[in-house]
Amino acid sequence: MSMVKLVNVRKSFGDLEVLKGINLEVLQGEVVCIIGASGSGKSTMLRCLNQLERISDGEIYIEDVLSDKRANNKDQMKIDPVTVQSLCADLGMVFQSFNLFPHLTVIDNVTIAPLIVKKIDRKIAETRALDLLSMVGLSEKKDEYPSRLSGGQQQRVAIARALAMDPKIMMFDEPTSALDPELVGEVLATMRQLAEKGMTMLIVTHEIGFAREVADRVIFMDGGVICEEGTPEEVLLNPKEERTKSFLNKIL
Amino acid sequence: MVEKGFVCSLTGVSVQIFYDEGKINVLNETQLWAIFDGTIVTLEIAIVAIIFGAVFGVVVALGRLSKNKAANALSWFYIWFFRGTPMLLQLFIIYYAIPIIYLDATGATFTVNPMIAAFVAFSLNATAYLAEIIRAAIESIDGGQMEASKALGMSYRQAMTKIIIPQTYKRLVAPLGNELIMLLKDTSLVSTIALFDLLRTTKTMASATGSWIYYIYAAAIYLFLTTIIQVVFDKMEKKLGIYER
Repeated sequence: MSMVKLVNVRKSFGDLEVLKGINLEVLQGEVVCIIGASGSGKSTMLRCLNQLERISDGEIYIEDVLSDKRANNKDQMKIDPVTVQSLCADLGMVFQSFNLFPHLTVIDNVTIAPLIVKKIDRKIAETRALDLLSMVGLSEKKDEYPSRLSGGQQQRVAIARALAMDPKIMMFDEPTSALDPELVGEVLATMRQLAEKGMTMLIVTHEIGFAREVADRVIFMDGGVICEEGTPEEVLLNPKEERTKSFLNKIL
Repeated sequence: MVEKGFVCSLTGVSVQIFYDEGKINVLNETQLWAIFDGTIVTLEIAIVAIIFGAVFGVVVALGRLSKNKAANALSWFYIWFFRGTPMLLQLFIIYYAIPIIYLDATGATFTVNPMIAAFVAFSLNATAYLAEIIRAAIESIDGGQMEASKALGMSYRQAMTKIIIPQTYKRLVAPLGNELIMLLKDTSLVSTIALFDLLRTTKTMASATGSWIYYIYAAAIYLFLTTIIQVVFDKMEKKLGIYER
């Protein structure tokens, strides 16, 4: 089953075209890692999927339902915002800079969206939040404020927060890039755990070793297009494209 | 110098007033109550204005931040007018001009209660200043907060009320205290519309007796009130910042 699909997606910021015709389909249970130099459009692609950015051209499907269709920055379908919101609610997002809510304790960070968006009972939300926090290994930090946590701990709380909305797809936008090297491992371990549970994941990362280990498919982006895609072995070990080779040479 | 003391309890502290034998500048009971009433007028206007200003300031600030062109233009115009004209002029428009406009339009007379005029004028003015303070505070919150809220499925309104605005509270305390202190002092303008606030009351006494001591009393009371505001707001700021380590 197709979880997300991008058809000829283009995105421009003024005169700068960041995505130049992206076609991508992610199937249920697939773990897709996206690699590429900064400015290649990786993050923008994720942000377009959950409509933090609006695409300029193309179509986006979430679970085979059209969520956005545009041509020349014009909305072609005028899809009801409530429908879009509920489609995008199936996409969980983890940011490079964590973006935890600093005024809320760890447990409140995890429960707030279920409480106010899904309007579920507080007791149920808290039980679920504690389960998720123990999954990421942080149940003893539930009453701390985010400022008292290390970067790695904050990012794990952010993962629990996204999972609390029961997303069908988890998107990670360079989740370890802002972390000190010794804290990267704990976040990757949490993500690996999710992958093993069969979560559909779309991960923008510079951790090539991690991509090789967990990805079903690796995508190399360059200059706003998907330059090469395939299994980790194909793309990371035996790249065909010159651009992929030179990128991997630079970072390995 | 003979020290004759007069102790009274005014807004919770004792004020002891000394006087020389030759000059009549002791506060008799009537004067004391007049000063007390003046202080109440001053306080009432400042407090009504800060509360009204904070509530409607949020509304105007959200208007300024809104993508809706009409809301944006309206709040821009509001701030432009009330920040760009003297407070005293705004007070005159409400107290003197509106009854004349009403008379011209309807032929009927209409008087504005000066206290109501003061409440309205100071509230409208405070709204304009606080709207800009609140807008700046909202804009100072990292953009990632709104993105994370949206990514979790929150609407703009939910993100604003539960995530963004609560984070501005700590940043708002200091400028809010500042605004309250300004308001408290600016209320002295109401002497122009037949109200006896603290300053006008003491000035009248000074003119009547030829003694400067009443100005000292006024200064002492203003300082006493602003000190309380300063202390309370400092405490509030510390308390609200508890999540920042």
